[in-house]
Amino acid sequence: MADKKQGVVGAFLDGAAGLAGSYAATMTHLFRKPVTEQYPEYKRPLPARTRGRIVLTRSPDGKERCVACYLCSGACPVNCISMQSEVGPDGRRQAAWFRINFARCIYCGLCEEACPTLALQLTPEFAFCKDDIADFVYEKEQLLVEHGGKHPDYDFYAHAGVAAGGPKGSHIGEDDPVDVKSILP
Amino acid sequence: MPDLIIDGRAVSVPKGTMVIEAAERLGIMIPRFCWHKALGAAGACRMCAVMFTAGPVKGLEMSCMTPAADGMVVETFHPEAVAFRRSIIELLMVNHPHDCPVCDEGGHCLLQDETISGGHSLRRFPGRKRTYLDQNLGPFIQHEMNRCIHCYRCARFYQEYCGYRDFGPMQNANRVYFGRFDDGALENPFAGNLADLCPTGTLTDKPARFVSRRWDCLRAPSVCLHCSLGCNVTALSRYRRVARIEARENAAVNGSFICDRGRFSAGYEAIPERPRSARLDGNAVPAIEAETALAARLAALAEKHGPGSIAILGGLRSTMETQAAGIALAQAAGWRAPAFFATRTEQAATQAALAVLTPPRARSLAEIGKADAVLVLGVSPLFDAPMLALALRQASRAGAKIIVADPRPVALPLPFTHLPVPPRQFPAVLAVATGSPDAAAAAAQKRLPFAPELWPGLETAAKALAAAKRPALVFTPGLAAALPDDDRLGLFPVLAQASSAGAALLAPTDAPGLDELAADVAAGRVKGLVVVEADLFAAAPGLAAVLGKLDLLVVLDYLPTPTVAAAHIVLPTTTIFESGGILAASDGRLQAASPVQSPGDPVARDGAGSHPPRAFDRPLPGTDPAPAAFLLDRLARGLGLTLPREPLAALAAAIPALAGLDLAALPQDGLRPAFAGLAAPLPAPLPLSAESGLAVIYTDALFATDEPGRYAPLAQAQTQAGPPVLLLHADDAAALGLADGLADGLAVSLECGNRLVPATLHLSRAMARGVIVVPRVPDLAGLPPILGPCGLRRR
Repeated sequence: MADKKQGVVGAFLDGAAGLAGSYAATMTHLFRKPVTEQYPEYKRPLPARTRGRIVLTRSPDGKERCVACYLCSGACPVNCISMQSEVGPDGRRQAAWFRINFARCIYCGLCEEACPTLALQLTPEFAFCKDDIADFVYEKEQLLVEHGGKHPDYDFYAHAGVAAGGPKGSHIGEDDPVDVKSILP
Repeated sequence: MPDLIIDGRAVSVPKGTMVIEAAERLGIMIPRFCWHKALGAAGACRMCAVMFTAGPVKGLEMSCMTPAADGMVVETFHPEAVAFRRSIIELLMVNHPHDCPVCDEGGHCLLQDETISGGHSLRRFPGRKRTYLDQNLGPFIQHEMNRCIHCYRCARFYQEYCGYRDFGPMQNANRVYFGRFDDGALENPFAGNLADLCPTGTLTDKPARFVSRRWDCLRAPSVCLHCSLGCNVTALSRYRRVARIEARENAAVNGSFICDRGRFSAGYEAIPERPRSARLDGNAVPAIEAETALAARLAALAEKHGPGSIAILGGLRSTMETQAAGIALAQAAGWRAPAFFATRTEQAATQAALAVLTPPRARSLAEIGKADAVLVLGVSPLFDAPMLALALRQASRAGAKIIVADPRPVALPLPFTHLPVPPRQFPAVLAVATGSPDAAAAAAQKRLPFAPELWPGLETAAKALAAAKRPALVFTPGLAAALPDDDRLGLFPVLAQASSAGAALLAPTDAPGLDELAADVAAGRVKGLVVVEADLFAAAPGLAAVLGKLDLLVVLDYLPTPTVAAAHIVLPTTTIFESGGILAASDGRLQAASPVQSPGDPVARDGAGSHPPRAFDRPLPGTDPAPAAFLLDRLARGLGLTLPREPLAALAAAIPALAGLDLAALPQDGLRPAFAGLAAPLPAPLPLSAESGLAVIYTDALFATDEPGRYAPLAQAQTQAGPPVLLLHADDAAALGLADGLADGLAVSLECGNRLVPATLHLSRAMARGVIVVPRVPDLAGLPPILGPCGLRRR
């Protein structure tokens, strides 16, 4: 550009053409249908796998899916998940308390990937504001939802084979328990 | 010494070493399930296959079943071996359930590790999974039999290593089951090790069930406080409470295992009653206020009655740092020499028991397990020092004769000869068994003749010890004076409490007994008493009875003892889990424990919600407790004194056995000082005559008779409710008129001080005549050595 000689008239015409083009683009957009979405009024549906707020889902029988195995807290790169496991009233392992600090969460989804019972799931909800940062610490009651989320049909205890999920031998793909006091085949 | 090459590296191992162990010396961990260092090989899992490419063995072989030989060349990563191990793990996983998330082993599971390292991630077998019904195995072990991979480690440990028969394998082929014939608590007092041993989640630690994953725990090497053996443990802590105790390998002491007392007696560090804040005249105050008041009152006392009116009393469950700080403070302030033991005699005996452990005679616990004849004198192994029973079992398995001379009925999982003799006959037993042609022994025998039924046992003992190449003697401290001067006979003392040896090593020679202190307090010669981590109501009831005469009672402790409740000033101290420290085991071995957690309140649920508090305070609640040595140092500063910067190091430098030892860098196995032997022969203890009554023998139970253990909820839950059980020989009971009717379980009352304590009397014929066996509970502390004829009566 610098070494190319251009006359004054040429430069003037070049600039005018550029201006005219820009004005033309502006004028055409004036009469187009707008594409802006009025965000708070209209919320665009996000894909189900969008990584937003975390929930704890339930198995098809309505029981808590979370067994408080500590895998999500172990996987969490920012240590925002903590819990205490306990034996529930029906003998199932469950969380005595379960807490996620959303002020610290980076929504990376590693917890969901780690969750072996498909209990912990990220939802598309991404905008939840609080006045107090401490309110971002969600307890188990706030995290639990009444549905199975993205995996409505999976029931961990139907596969696990522990007695808490039904008598031994009654789970998917299991034989009847061995009778240890008989040598009959 | 076979020389072999494993993965291109040469190693030379003792003859008889298996290839898997040789590889471990090079730091190569060959995958395994059934092989265990302490249990050896079973060849059950086929997981440790390696390729032998040259030498006497060729081809794919099990490294746990192949003894190392000269010229072997082993490749652990040979493609054929890797493929074989991969197929084995796939086979083991065919029946393994899909329950890792609810399994407590997850996170420290050998099966998990080896499945992942083998790359097995997809089950190809389409068949159904085998299942088993589980059993209730008591309060300590959780059974989940579906997870079993049949390595037989549990059965080998339970039946062969420990010698108990109520748990083992049943059934055959693809249906092998590990359990009891019927549900019920495991009888083995070492059953807790099954949780450590099991490479899967079949047998897990029940009290720690669902408490945490291993990766969430703080872990630190620690030393057990619940008997004098000093077994090594690993403490795992989460949310400022000890989640679990695991055995820590120490080849010289406990090997790979610990007893259930040591494993399940933690928890006292997290009880709500634990003193967490300083108290001044019954009111909780900031620590600094209590310390200021304490210094002022001590100074006032010293001014009014002289520094000799203040005494310090050290406990037998403290670290040596604490004991040394107490001694240093007493010396710097000119107070009375610190008291540790019940009597001066007991202190001298404990010191003598350590002094006789000269290098050629001292034996470690592991060496007791390798002896070929062991005479146990005055110790009931399972109760006084449980891991001793396991060591004796190993000796017995190798063919050693075991003779136990103890007045109490003794149960051991091994063949042994029991000599039920009263303590006054111990020196005579020793003299006869060691066959010394000592006139004194003959005289003792004349004065205190053995019952005729004891003679065969004594003869067995004498013959066994005479024929043995590595005989050993396990003894109580009282016998140090009567030991024969024979370097062939190994010695191993069993002391009263975890820090008895530490106190004996450090205590100055002019240290009084607690009985003298009680007399001084009663006479008004001692006005102020500083008690460091001791419960006077259990250790010295005579002193506890006269506490009202004191102007000032100061207690530094981490347990909510009655002494703490009676104190004018309380300063809370930290437990071994919070401050660590050095402990001396019964053979004088110095071992260091590391702190594992900070001394705050455990993060528990608060009363209101279902979760921990949402507000976070700084400092953390309940962090007032400080190491007792630190508090004593601050107290010295408050009094205008300067203690040595490291009181223990300063004190140790002046003690011949400890001088020159680097206490700051103790080796992993601990360090046993070289004792010089007795400086002067001790006067033989006067045999107590029991013509007029019953000699009182205190006995421990497996759980909750040691001081920290008494405050551990889980250990406490193992004790039986109801009155304490006394044991008496059936013939003695008949003589006292207590054997009539329903003789077993007779309701009696025992005169203790000026109270009558209700108790239940059980009769036995497997015990000595002329003694009464009393459980070591605070209610029955402080009985006279000889119980008069009317001390025991029908209720």
